[in-house]
Amino acid sequence: MAKVAVIGFGLVGRLAALMLAKTHQVSVFEQGDANTVDSAGTLAAAMLAPLAESVICEADLAEQGLAAIPLWQGVLAELDLPVMFQQAGTLVVAHQQDRGDLHNFIRRLKPLAGHSAQSLNQTDIATLEPELAGRFSQGVYLPCEGQLDNLAFYAASFKTLKRLGVQFHFHTKVNIDGNQVGNDTFDWIVDCRGIGAKAQMQGLRGVRGEVARIYAPEVTLNRPVRLMHPRYPIYIAPKPNHEFVIGATEIESQDAGDVTVRSTLELLSAAYTVHSGFAEGRVLALRAGLRPAFDDNRPKVTRDGALIRINGLYRHGFLLAPLVVKNALTEVML
Amino acid sequence: MNCALTIYGQSFESRLLIGSALYPSPEVMQASIRASGSQIVTVSLRRQNSVAAGQDFWDLIKALDLTILPNTAGCHSVKEAVTLAHMCREVFDTDWIKLELIGDEYNLQPDPIALLEATKILIDDGFKVLPYCTDDLVICQRLAELGCEVLMPWGAPIGTGKGLLNPYALRTIRERLSEMTLIVDAGLGLPSHACQALELGYDAVLLNSAVAGAGCPETMAKAFRAAVEAGRFSYEAGAMIERDIAAPSTPTLGMPFWHQ
Repeated sequence: MAKVAVIGFGLVGRLAALMLAKTHQVSVFEQGDANTVDSAGTLAAAMLAPLAESVICEADLAEQGLAAIPLWQGVLAELDLPVMFQQAGTLVVAHQQDRGDLHNFIRRLKPLAGHSAQSLNQTDIATLEPELAGRFSQGVYLPCEGQLDNLAFYAASFKTLKRLGVQFHFHTKVNIDGNQVGNDTFDWIVDCRGIGAKAQMQGLRGVRGEVARIYAPEVTLNRPVRLMHPRYPIYIAPKPNHEFVIGATEIESQDAGDVTVRSTLELLSAAYTVHSGFAEGRVLALRAGLRPAFDDNRPKVTRDGALIRINGLYRHGFLLAPLVVKNALTEVML
Repeated sequence: MNCALTIYGQSFESRLLIGSALYPSPEVMQASIRASGSQIVTVSLRRQNSVAAGQDFWDLIKALDLTILPNTAGCHSVKEAVTLAHMCREVFDTDWIKLELIGDEYNLQPDPIALLEATKILIDDGFKVLPYCTDDLVICQRLAELGCEVLMPWGAPIGTGKGLLNPYALRTIRERLSEMTLIVDAGLGLPSHACQALELGYDAVLLNSAVAGAGCPETMAKAFRAAVEAGRFSYEAGAMIERDIAAPSTPTLGMPFWHQ
């Protein structure tokens, strides 16, 4: 049994702690509280969308994302609270005047072992999503994709880790020095701070993202829906109890300040064009955060003595984290 | 013949101006811009929220060590554009501004009336304005009268990749404003579109989506670099005149003359 410090209690920190807690003595250090509202993962739509993301990332990352989906099932199965997980695919649609953007999206999908996109006509769309019947004449279905409830995962992981005896140090900003974290010594230190590690990680930058969380009782969607649009491509990820995560802007900025009016208008107008039932929805939250990214927008794992750093998951946190964290820990035989 | 591109008194070898948006990653952006051979890169300050907030991205652009042409992308009013131009001048330490004023939200067509108004204000404020305009001759003439030394008429609406929708209009502008530096900005999709613009006598092209949105942006950047060079060589060489009757290019020695 090794003594391990996990620094940062966001998505990566939680997964690292869950993978370590049963066989090692784990301490978690977090500058915020247990809710870690600064964590990019609390804003995320938590879609597991390797095929859709293959349009903007390299093929090997998309393959890793596909391989990470069953890992999520394993992680969630061991939690003390249920977390909504589904693998019912993604629906991608575009309005008639934007069909060029849909075709462009299809053209740029990368081949993913054994998984491809299916073209849909109006009837197919109505079968998959009855409430979108008649709204779109064409779309594509990406059957291999899934999603989970990010906030439920945050709650369940904390409860489970407490039961497993993990020691928590909230409101604690730490200095890492060799094997030392603060005044304590560890066999291994896993730095999972995301953008919080900016000062220590060369080339790490924040990419601003803004999302809305909406309660819309008049809207029922069975799976995440992506809308292709020349300027406002959005996704709508349905969470339990008619809650929807609508996102996301992507702005090259370190500003984590409040969501702008412009972004709000873009996100919510686009969502309204997908389903008019959003008009009567309630805005539960409008949030902005920073995705940690390196210049190549790929995750990076580095090791320096006892210190392992896992960072740069960019917009692919939920997609890639279980595999990236597992590989990083396996490499040092933890 | 002056073989260099001249923009407000500065000379450039490359006739390809390139944008810095929409690439899959900053690394791909840097590689593509280098591969394009461009010496001028456009950047959009809008939506970066503040100077400090965008610093990491500016550093990546500055690392390219190219001339920076800030633009007012996304502005819908004269006031917005003028304010943003002043911010750009401070942030990038340049009096150049690519003035973009959107008149139609959907196809991002420039607003020619507001463009004239903003151009006048900015020139009075000491800016060197590069206006993004439609291919309307009279608007181009008015912009020239206001003191613009460079004009950037569109090939097609931004991001459509349709190429030169109205070569006749573009040719007319070239002929009538023969001393101006003219750059086709927006709407190009293929290297052949860029080549065509240079063949028409345009001094340069400015593009972004055609490279950033390609399957391999870096390779497409090379393709545009070659196409722009080809088009310029063609213009400098002077193309042959098109004719309707075939003319043999190989001398037919030995054929009895009455058969010719």
